[in-house]
Amino acid sequence: MEQTDKRGYRGDFPVRDEDVQGTFKYEVADMVGGEGLMRCLKCGACSGGCPVGSVIDYRPRKVLGNVLLGLKDEVLSSDQIWLCAACFTCEERCVQQVNFTDVVTVLRNMASKEGHAAPGYVKMAEMVRKNGRVSARTGQVDKMREQLGLPPLQDPAVKQLEGIMQAAGLVEVIEANKKKEAEPE
Amino acid sequence: MKKAIAWGCLVPTRRSLIGYEAATRKVLEHLNIDTVDIPNETCCAPFWMQSLDLTTSIAMAARNLAKAEEMGLDLLTPCSGCFHSYKRVNHVLEKYPDMREKVDDILKGVGLKYEGTVEARHVVDFLYTDIGVDELQKRSTRDLSSISIGLRYGCHMLKPHELLNIEYSERPTFADELIEQFGVNSVQYAGRHRCCGGLLRGVQDDLADRVLHERLVDANEAGVDGIVTVCSLCHLQHDMGQRTIKRKFAMEDIDLPVLHFPQLLALGFGYSPEELGLNYHTVKTDKLVAKVMGGGRR
Repeated sequence: MEQTDKRGYRGDFPVRDEDVQGTFKYEVADMVGGEGLMRCLKCGACSGGCPVGSVIDYRPRKVLGNVLLGLKDEVLSSDQIWLCAACFTCEERCVQQVNFTDVVTVLRNMASKEGHAAPGYVKMAEMVRKNGRVSARTGQVDKMREQLGLPPLQDPAVKQLEGIMQAAGLVEVIEANKKKEAEPE
Repeated sequence: MKKAIAWGCLVPTRRSLIGYEAATRKVLEHLNIDTVDIPNETCCAPFWMQSLDLTTSIAMAARNLAKAEEMGLDLLTPCSGCFHSYKRVNHVLEKYPDMREKVDDILKGVGLKYEGTVEARHVVDFLYTDIGVDELQKRSTRDLSSISIGLRYGCHMLKPHELLNIEYSERPTFADELIEQFGVNSVQYAGRHRCCGGLLRGVQDDLADRVLHERLVDANEAGVDGIVTVCSLCHLQHDMGQRTIKRKFAMEDIDLPVLHFPQLLALGFGYSPEELGLNYHTVKTDKLVAKVMGGGRR
């Protein structure tokens, strides 16, 4: 049979050697919350209980499989790690305490550093940086609070927050993602 | 009894959520619990923020815990997202010494110190475990047996149970017990404990709608008078999101008022709907409130 370079043709594999970075799983397992990954049996209990999986073709087991296989670029640059709704049902049910949601957090942290964070979350982070809260304060709600006899809202310690965000690395992450956004496709 | 209290970002600033704060304050007052707000509270950096950078998030959440520690008080919060976040701080700091060192340094840089001694408690668990169903029953004045509701515990108060240590999440009963003592019929139905898609809002909006649609179908089929939520995201989804779902999925017959858990408690304690902000919700609560008020006194 004639050989071809095109993916999906007979003789080619769904996963090619050059896509695989065998050490990726160790990188993930070394981070806070990532250690459970190495215990995964790929049993699929995570996928079975996933509320997102019940409305679209999304399977936590597949994400774990891709990480264990070493498909680093695919995992970190695609949507698949940003579809988790963080309900923790998979963590609750996992017989191996893989803690999928924590593993996803590790993967998202890695992706965010490279500028692949979900734009919605970056926007929310900028809002927090500016206001100290993820929601804006409005005069209308202030008035309603008064009507309910609630104390006036305090101003969040924004300066302290900025210091934390600078020192801990979030500001860098925000900037990496703004830069990526500005790049032409 | 005195507790520090963290309200979170959304609860004190969103029209349909300030009733959560108002009702929680009333309930705690009614039970003689003294509270003091965390001074200049900042975002607790919950799961979505942890997604961007875990170290920053842990340090941010530790900021509010440090303030409670300064006052020598344990921390209550009605927000499940905040609760989850604060529980994770203590866990991570205890389990990962490297992270602890990093976070200590970051906090030191802004003049803070957190030793890790503050216990974060969810208001609902606190009411059940520390105050108790009997005590609530003693102080309840209104009969609520005329209403059937669908109670949503939400995800972040319970899961994962190893971290949050309240009750195993598959079939919890404690929050039901707290309202059943008023006579409320808390209906068990499929999907009651399933995720509402709240954390996908603003990131994957279509997906958030589709998950929410399933939840609203579940509740609608259960034939309840309304939904009662513990989590502020559940409330935003079910209450504010209901309009979108009605249009997008042609659910013409849906009309489910969504109450905050403490609002129901405060109604049972005899407070009026007006002082609990029930008129600020997106879906009108009138019909449910009329049913409650028609129930009479105990």
